[in-house]
Amino acid sequence: MYLLNFKIALRNLLRNKMASLINISGLAIGLAACLMLLLYVSYEWNFDRGFKKSGDTYQLMFNFYGADHHIRSTGNQSPNTIAAVLKEEMPEVENISRILWASKRLLANGKNSFKVNGRYADPELLKIFDFKVLHGNLAKALDAPNSIVLTAGTARKLFGSTDVLNRGLKFENQVEVKVTAVIEDLPPNTSYDFDCLNSWKLYEQLNTWVIEPNWHNYSYFTLFTLKKGTDVGLFNEKIKNLSRKHAPSSFSEAEPFAYPLVKLHLYDRFLNGKVDGGQIDRVRTFGILALSILVIACINFMNLSTARSQKRAKEVGIKKTIGASRSSLVSQFLMESLLLTLVSVVIAVVLVELSLPKFNQLVSAELHIAYGDPLNWIGVFLLILFTGIVAGSYPAFYLSGFNPVQTLKKTVGLKSSFSLNFRQVLVVVQFGFAVLLIIATLIMYDQLAYLRKKPLGYQVNALVEMPHEGNLYLKYDLLKERLLASGAITSMCQSSGSISQQNSNSTGMEWEGMSEGDKKMSVNQIYTGYDFVKTNGLKLSEGRDFKKGLGSDSVAVMLSQTAVKMMGLKKPVGQTVVFQDVKRQVVGVFEDITWGDPAKREKPMIIAYNPNNSDVITMRLNTDNDLKDNVEMIGQITKEINPDFPVDVRFLDQLVAEKIKDEATMVTLSNLFGGLAIFISCLGLFGLSAFSAEQRTKEIGVRKVLGASVQGIVGLLSFNFVKTVLVALLISMPVAYLLMNSWLNKFDYHISIGWMVFVQTGILIVVIALLTVSWQAYRAAKGNPVDALKYE
Amino acid sequence: MIELKNIEKYYANKGVKSYILRHVSTSIKQGEFVSIMGPSGAGKSTLLNILGMLEEPTYGAYEFMGEDVVSLNERKRIELYRNHIGFVFQAYHLIDEMTVAENIEAPLLYKKVSSAERKSRVADVLDRFNMVAKKDLFPNQLSGGQQQLVGIARALVAQPSIILADEPTGNLQSPQALQIMELFKKLNEEENITIIQVTHSEVNAAYGSRILHLLDGVIKEDLSLQQVI
Ligand SMILES: Nc1ncnc2c1ncn2[C@@H]1O[C@H](COP(=O)(O)OP(=O)(O)OP(=O)(O)O)[C@@H](O)[C@H]1O
Ligand SMILES: [Mg+2]
Repeated sequence: MYLLNFKIALRNLLRNKMASLINISGLAIGLAACLMLLLYVSYEWNFDRGFKKSGDTYQLMFNFYGADHHIRSTGNQSPNTIAAVLKEEMPEVENISRILWASKRLLANGKNSFKVNGRYADPELLKIFDFKVLHGNLAKALDAPNSIVLTAGTARKLFGSTDVLNRGLKFENQVEVKVTAVIEDLPPNTSYDFDCLNSWKLYEQLNTWVIEPNWHNYSYFTLFTLKKGTDVGLFNEKIKNLSRKHAPSSFSEAEPFAYPLVKLHLYDRFLNGKVDGGQIDRVRTFGILALSILVIACINFMNLSTARSQKRAKEVGIKKTIGASRSSLVSQFLMESLLLTLVSVVIAVVLVELSLPKFNQLVSAELHIAYGDPLNWIGVFLLILFTGIVAGSYPAFYLSGFNPVQTLKKTVGLKSSFSLNFRQVLVVVQFGFAVLLIIATLIMYDQLAYLRKKPLGYQVNALVEMPHEGNLYLKYDLLKERLLASGAITSMCQSSGSISQQNSNSTGMEWEGMSEGDKKMSVNQIYTGYDFVKTNGLKLSEGRDFKKGLGSDSVAVMLSQTAVKMMGLKKPVGQTVVFQDVKRQVVGVFEDITWGDPAKREKPMIIAYNPNNSDVITMRLNTDNDLKDNVEMIGQITKEINPDFPVDVRFLDQLVAEKIKDEATMVTLSNLFGGLAIFISCLGLFGLSAFSAEQRTKEIGVRKVLGASVQGIVGLLSFNFVKTVLVALLISMPVAYLLMNSWLNKFDYHISIGWMVFVQTGILIVVIALLTVSWQAYRAAKGNPVDALKYE
Repeated sequence: MIELKNIEKYYANKGVKSYILRHVSTSIKQGEFVSIMGPSGAGKSTLLNILGMLEEPTYGAYEFMGEDVVSLNERKRIELYRNHIGFVFQAYHLIDEMTVAENIEAPLLYKKVSSAERKSRVADVLDRFNMVAKKDLFPNQLSGGQQQLVGIARALVAQPSIILADEPTGNLQSPQALQIMELFKKLNEEENITIIQVTHSEVNAAYGSRILHLLDGVIKEDLSLQQVI
C-alpha cells in the first residue's frame, strides 16, 4: 500500500508540473533557509562549549557605578591584581588566569616571518582549557617566560611541520622564544582564540608597567574555573565587595562578578548590570526570518493542494467506497507532502552549499555541512518531518474529511465558503509578512544611510593608519621627515589608538568647579604628539593644536565640545585640569568626533599630549598623487626604516564602515529574506490564479460569448487576489510601523519613519501581485471561448 | 440480507421539509438481482446511497446482514465496505492516477490482503474480463465501456456479497450496456452475488429478478420477474 501511495504521489507530482514546480522551488528555498539557520544556530550555540570544563568556566566581569550609585556600565576586563586575590581568598576558585587581547605578533623563524594572533596568559590557562596537544606538555608549557605555545596551523606556516618542540623563534623582533607545545587548531567558534600563546611573564618583561599592581586599570581578561558544585550566586555575593575592599577609591566603584564562559558569546550586552542580549538577537532574528520563509512556502503547498481539492475529492470519495479509512487517506496525503519535502531538501542542500561561502562572509562565521555527523542527519530528518507535516496536515485532514456522496455526486459543489476564506487568510499571512520585511528593509536602509552620512568630525577620506612598532618608535621623526619629503603624504601624527574606533577611556579627571561625583565621569582619551588636528582634519572651535617648541605643551590637552559642556567650563582654553594625576592646561576645544558607535551619543573626550604612549601612526595621503602610489611609497620607506615588520597600511574609511557592519548585515539579511518572501508568495499567488483561471474557463467562455471584453475579464479574475493583498497591506503596515519604531529607538541618533516608505511598499506589492495574477487572467481571457466551452 | 423499515429521508429547507423518500420498507435476500426504476428525481440514487451506507436516512431502521446499520460506527462500516459491498458508478469513478491493475488492486490493499494473493486475484479478474493487455494503461486511455468493466472488476475483486450499481450503463452505448448486464446476470447466477442496480432502461431491468418502482420517494410497485415470466 505504501509503495502504491508512493507511486501515486510521484505520478501526481509529475502530472501537475506547475504546482509541483511552485511547491518544490518554494519549499527548497524555505528549507535552504532553515538548514542554514540550523547550521548557524548550532555554530553559535556551540561557541566555547568544546572544552571539558566549559560549564564550570567563568569570566570575571565588572559592574561600574556612576555618580548616582547606579550601574553605569558593565565591562569584561579586569585589573591585573584581582586574579591572585581571588585565588588566595576564594577556595571555590579552582584555576585562574589572566589573558590579554589577541593582537598581531610578529613571529620569525629565520627569514620566514609572519604576523599571527597572539595572546599572553598565565600558566593556569592551560588547566582551564584542555587544548588538544599534539606535541609537548601543556602542564608546564607556559612556566618559563620565553616559552610559546603554537597552534598546528601556525607551526606549519612557520616551520612546515607540527613536530617543532623546543625550536626557537624570534618574537616581535625582540626576544628569542622556545616552542613548548603544539596544539590542534582551535575551532572557529572560540571566544579566546589565538595562533600563539605566550607567557604572562614575558608580557611583563617586555612592558614593565604591566608588573605594577594597578586596581584601576581595567585592561586584562580574567578567566577561571569554579570547583564542581559551587553556587555561582553565592560566590558572586562573596566577591561583590572585593574591589571596594582592596582598592577603595573616590573616582571608581566596581563590583566584580563571575559570568559563564558559555554565555559570553551570545549574551554579551549589558544594560544597568543586566544581560541585554547581544549576538543572540541576531541568531533570533535570523531564526524568525528563516522559519517564516519556510512557513510561507508551506502555505503555498496548503493553498495549492486545497485549491486542487475538487480534483482530489473524487479520489477520496472512491477510495472511501472501496474501504479506505480516513487515517489511511491522511497518511497518503502526508506521504505526498513528505515526498515533496524530500525532493525539496535535496535541492535545498545544493542551494546551501552554493550560498554558504557568501553567507559565512555575511555573518562572519565558518559554517559548513558536516555530512559525516549523524546529528546533522537527524536535524535534516526532523526538518523534513516537520515541514512535511506542517505543509501536509491541513490538506490531509481537509481532503480526507470529504463525504463520498458529496464528492461523487456532480451536483454538489465543494466550494464551501470557509475553505476559500481560509486560503485567502493564508495569502494574507504570506503577503503580510512580505510587506513587513520590505518596510523593515527600507527603514533599516534609510537608518544605515543616515549613520553613514552622519558627520564624523574628521576627514576620513584619504586617511590611512599603520601600527606604530619596532624601529618606528626610535625613528619616528625620520619616518615623518622622509614620508613628507616623498610627497606621498601631506601630514602625519602618532596616537595611542586608532581614531576609527573607541579604544580607551578613564575616570578621575578633576577640574575647577567640579562636584565630588564628577570624578566618576567616564572620559574617552587619546594620547598623541604633534599634528593630530591637521592630519585627521578635526575642527577646532577654540584655541589650537599642540605646538612644537612650546615646552608647556608637553602637559597640554584638548577637550571635545561635549566635554566642555559636561564639565561646565565657561572659558575652557587656559583652564587647568588634573588628568591621570598630572596637572594639564587646556589649549584647544574641538568639535565632537564619532569615535565609538555612530548611533550612540558620544562621551566627553580628551586628547592629551604624550608621544610616549603610541600604537598607531596616522597619515593624510597626498591627493595630488594616485592613492595607490602613495601607499606603495609609504610601504617602501617604512620597510627601509623598520625592515623586520611587514607593512600594514589601512584605510580609515574602511575601518569606519566596519563599525556599522552589524546593521549592514541586518539590512542585507532582511533584504534577502524579504526578496525570498515576496518571490515565494508570488509563486503561490501565481499558482492560485492559474488554478482559478482554469476552474473558471467555462464561465470566462460564457462571458466572452455574451460580449465581455478581455480587460473586463482580467479585472474580474484579478480583483479577488489584489483585494487579498490589499488586506495584507492594511494589516501589516501598522505592525511594521510599531516594530521598526522600537528598533529605531535603540539608536540615540535615528531617522523618523516617513509615510513615503509605506506608499512605496504599497505600490510595489500591489504592482507585483497584479502582474503575477493578471498574466494568468490574461491568458485565460484571451483563449477562444469555443475551446473553453467544448470541455463540458 | 437487507431489511428496510419505514425509511424516511427529507431535507429541511427554510423550515419546509422536502421529502425524498417516504415510508420505504422492503427486504432483499441474498442472491437477488434487483433493479430500481423510476423517473428522474424520484429518489433512486438516494435510496441506493442509503443502502450503501453513504447516506443516512432521517428516520427508519436499516439492517444489513442482521446488523443495525444506523448505529454502526465508522470502523464497522469500513469493514462492511471492505468485505461485503462493491460499488459501481455511472461515471465509472476510477482513480485517474492509477493504472487498470492498480485500480483493481486498491480494495485488496485496504482489505490488507497479502501481496501474493493480491497478485493472483488481480490476474484472475483481468483474465476473466479480458483486460490483461490493458492492465498498465491509465483510465483516460480506455473507452467508456472498458472503464466500466474496470469499475466492475474493482467491485468484484474483493469478493463482495452485494454489488450496488447506480446507472452502471448510463454513459454507454447499448452493445456495451448489454455486455455489462450479461456480466451482472452471470455473477448473480453463478456466484450468487446480490445485485442492486438503478436503471432507466426496461431492457436492463429485464436482466434482473425483481423491479422496485419508485415514484416521488415512495415504492409504487415491487414486482418479481419470475412471476411475470
Ligand atoms: N443535498 C440535497 N439537498 C436537497 N435536495 C436534495 C439533495 N440531494 C438530493 N436532493 C433531491 O432529492 C431528490 C432525489 O434525488 P436522487 O438523486 O435520489 O434522484 P434520482 O431518482 O436518482 O434521479 P436521477 O434519475 O435524475 O438520477 C431530487 O429531487 C434532488 O433534488
Ligand atoms: Mg440518480
